[in-house]
Amino acid sequence: MANNLISLSNVNLTLPSRAGPVAILRDVVLNIGTAEAVAIVGPSGSGKTSLLMIVAGLERATSGRVVVAGHDFARLDEDRLAAVRGANIGIVFQAFHLVPTMTALENVALPLEFAGRPDAFERAGEMLAEVGLAQRAQHFPAQLSGGEQQRVAIARALSPRPQIILADEPTGNLDGKTGAHVVDLLFELQRRRQSTLLLVTHDPGLARRCGRVIEMQDGCISGAELVSA
Amino acid sequence: MTVVVSDLKAPVLRRRLPLLVSLALREQRNGLKGFYVFIACVALGVAVITGVGALADALRASFERQGETLIGGDVALARPHRPAEGQERSWLWQQGRISETATMRAMARRTDGTDQALVELKGVDAAYPLVGAVSLLEGLSLTAAVREEAGVAVDPILLDRLGLKIGDSLSIGHLKLPIRASIGAEPDRISERLSVGPRVLVSLETLRRTGLIDPGSLVSWRYALKLGADGAPLADQLASFRNAMKEALPEAGFTLRDRRDPSPQLSRTLERLRQFLTLVGLAALLVGGVGVANAVATYLDRRRKVIAAFKSLGASKRIIFGVHLLQVIFIAGIGIVAGSLLGMLIPVALTSALGDALPIKADIALSARSLLTAAAYGLLVSLLFSLWPLGRAEAVPTAVLFRDEVAPGPVLPRWGVIVLTLAIGALLAAFAIFSSEARLLAFYSCLGVLLVFAVFTGLGAAISPVARGIRRPRRPELALAIGDLGAPGGLTRSVVISLGAGLSLLVTVALVDRSVVAELTEHLPESSPNYFILDLKRDESEAFQKLVRSEVGEARIEQAPMLRGRIMQVAGRPAEQVKAAPEAQWVLNGDRGLSYAEAVPAGSKLVAGQWWPADYAGEPLVSLEAEIAKGLGLKLGDTVTVNVLGRNVTARVANLREVKWESLSLNFVLVFSPNTLQGAPHNLLATVTLPKEASLATEAKLAQAIGRAFPASTAIRVKDALDAFGVIFARVMLAVRSAGSVTLIAGALVLAGALATAQRRRIQQAAILKALGATRRRILLSHLLEYVLLAVLTSFISFLIGTAAAWLAVTQAMELEFTFSLWAALQTMGLATLLVAAFGAFGTWRVLKAPTIPYLRAD
Repeated sequence: MANNLISLSNVNLTLPSRAGPVAILRDVVLNIGTAEAVAIVGPSGSGKTSLLMIVAGLERATSGRVVVAGHDFARLDEDRLAAVRGANIGIVFQAFHLVPTMTALENVALPLEFAGRPDAFERAGEMLAEVGLAQRAQHFPAQLSGGEQQRVAIARALSPRPQIILADEPTGNLDGKTGAHVVDLLFELQRRRQSTLLLVTHDPGLARRCGRVIEMQDGCISGAELVSA
Repeated sequence: MTVVVSDLKAPVLRRRLPLLVSLALREQRNGLKGFYVFIACVALGVAVITGVGALADALRASFERQGETLIGGDVALARPHRPAEGQERSWLWQQGRISETATMRAMARRTDGTDQALVELKGVDAAYPLVGAVSLLEGLSLTAAVREEAGVAVDPILLDRLGLKIGDSLSIGHLKLPIRASIGAEPDRISERLSVGPRVLVSLETLRRTGLIDPGSLVSWRYALKLGADGAPLADQLASFRNAMKEALPEAGFTLRDRRDPSPQLSRTLERLRQFLTLVGLAALLVGGVGVANAVATYLDRRRKVIAAFKSLGASKRIIFGVHLLQVIFIAGIGIVAGSLLGMLIPVALTSALGDALPIKADIALSARSLLTAAAYGLLVSLLFSLWPLGRAEAVPTAVLFRDEVAPGPVLPRWGVIVLTLAIGALLAAFAIFSSEARLLAFYSCLGVLLVFAVFTGLGAAISPVARGIRRPRRPELALAIGDLGAPGGLTRSVVISLGAGLSLLVTVALVDRSVVAELTEHLPESSPNYFILDLKRDESEAFQKLVRSEVGEARIEQAPMLRGRIMQVAGRPAEQVKAAPEAQWVLNGDRGLSYAEAVPAGSKLVAGQWWPADYAGEPLVSLEAEIAKGLGLKLGDTVTVNVLGRNVTARVANLREVKWESLSLNFVLVFSPNTLQGAPHNLLATVTLPKEASLATEAKLAQAIGRAFPASTAIRVKDALDAFGVIFARVMLAVRSAGSVTLIAGALVLAGALATAQRRRIQQAAILKALGATRRRILLSHLLEYVLLAVLTSFISFLIGTAAAWLAVTQAMELEFTFSLWAALQTMGLATLLVAAFGAFGTWRVLKAPTIPYLRAD
């Protein structure tokens, strides 16, 4: 408990809809330590992505306690949440979500610029080199393949050297071979930096590459399994 | 969002810039796609305001550059009735080179007596003109034409009017004078008073011999001076002259003008017109603001995922707001520059198109004030209409990165943005009001615009739920049309606000125009006299009445003594130090008609004080028109000093009158007790009112009889004067309508922008309908029905608002009778329906042409 980087206590998430309130997450209790790699699996609509969003501070829990990297999210307003996120959490999206009017280098530098780092572009260049795309630094997303875009997105997520990496179906928009390369890169970087990785996936093989697999069903954690190395 | 790769570049320099600027520049790499309507709307409004300012600046620059020629010297002095004599004359002649002229209205007749015309007669001395030259079309010099032997040079219009040619003779006063030349140009014409007839030039000596000048005649004596050059700056020389004249000739009663402002009256008129047309330009800019709001909202809507991505990467709301605000300012800047450049071309275009119709040749000039005014308006309006969508963009939930949205819910901006929006609105209104001389008019205009926007915003918001609540009609086309009216994100709000404001303004202008024209052509002529007779000698009064009654037995004649004088002091303060209300200022500028009376004049009603007895013999008393007294800050018991015939006369305000000016019966702003002015040399002013059934031939016969019997008098036919005013008014209204039409063009741009934004959704909808079996005819009909319904509804509300505004303007501001014209209103409404239908048809044609399959595939 003392080493937990992510701690969710009895977290509920209820969203309004035309048909009435919908319970997305119900009494979720989850603790994840430093440098852990955890996969979240479950059928569509089970609340996996919503859980990720709660941990990222992109969605506020209706009730319960969310403490990430020592910060109680309930005490933070939106701007402070953004600052915490920028410093501690890197997010890799299924749809990449690169800024189309910015080059690969500028995309990677963006979180560092938001954090006010004077060496933003130097660090971004190093990060791009780490993911093997130094020669594509001045290219725009539309000029990159899907795999290259996702590698830029990974570089962007990791450039602030966050303690936590959140990945939402990172290979969902990629073909098998490209997806495998991207996943290898992600795990390599996670291991090298000793970051905590929380990965949402439909792919059982991918889930088993993590140290722990958590199953979700109807907004609740229905099971957890430690994966032997 | 699709990005055209080949257009993108990635310069390195931005890394040194502040973060917000760097991010804004990167975001702008997508070019101006989606912002063309924004730019056009801002450019249009800024162009009108810049153009109006540029034209005023150009004319003012011309005045200053050509001032010496326009005024005929460095200074010009003028006064009525009396020429400079004795000590006045010797003093003036010592100040430099001087030229003396005398101008009056007179009748010029064919020598056979069959026709006559009102003319502006001007007698000139040997030195005239001191600066510039009179050009005569036959190549003669002025000396040869009018000075060597008695003769006249005339405006060519007079030759046409009387059916005469060069070489024929003209009767003026007691003289028959040969017509030697026609006038091409007269250098100092513009600096004189507004003329009602064609010009006739004679020598001063000839003018005196016509018998038209006697001590009480309504003649204006003018002295143009070229001061001796002493090397001092012009401003110092002119100030020195003014002071010297005040000391040497304190009661001379001259009105003094100098070359820096040759025609203060024209300058004031131009300035008022500039301010009024600026307000109209601002209205166009505000209508265009709807297009700005739509463009910004659409752009930010397309960028929701990018904004959410920024937030997920740690961007604060300040960064989101700041980046997009900088983009808005940059885009607005393009519109402002484009509009300013266009506006600067307006005087050039007008000078080429109108040429001689302008009072003087306009220089090309644009003051920093005009440019900055237009730029400030452009920026403030852009900000006013952008802040709300920018504020809403801050609130884009990051959840959009993970979840597809059906339609973004309505979100209010944070309080800081709302307060900033209100502050910008207040600043804009304050700027408009305090930069205008007529602040009350500007205030009511701002209020009116706010009201119009509020009404049409409310209407736009109300149409949608009402349309959704209507029971679905059986006809599918009508059901689709009404359904589209009620659909969220539809065209309704944009069309109603943008078109409604422009149409309301045009209906207002059309109905004000109709009312004033009706006043000039129907109401006034019915109640007004047929003729004003100037300079009727007192001893001719009885003979005049006898003559008129012998020609037309039922004619009604009014007579009043008339002199001209200048107000020198108001309640003991010099007139030039009095801060009069704008509507009373004219009384202090130049000389005014004065009279005296034993009893309250017809057409007047006492509203304060008492009238003097018929045999009153005490201190000089004066009766003032009530509104003018209020404007000058005068009350009962205060004094007014007037210079008449070179003598200052101080009178006490004994009473105040309400005057029905529109009756055109004999009335004056200042009417004195008889003992004040009775002893001064003067003539009479008379009016002749014929029975309604009197024919034009009777009228003409009477005028000829008066002309023959009283050759020194001048008969002004009221209908001709009203027609002349009508022509001027029509020109002014043309300028106002043109400026007002810009508002409608702005509305059309907004409509085009809204249609373009809705295009994708409409194509998608049409694709689905086609897949379900709808014919193109059915889809076209449903779209046209939607547009026509919107147009009819909008134009009906515009018609109501425009009529109310016109009624207020005509009855309360102008104090005239309101004349409603259904035709004028229908014309404007028909235009609206046509405009919307045309745009709609074009948009629908594009929708029907678009291929269906791409829109039916899953993304």
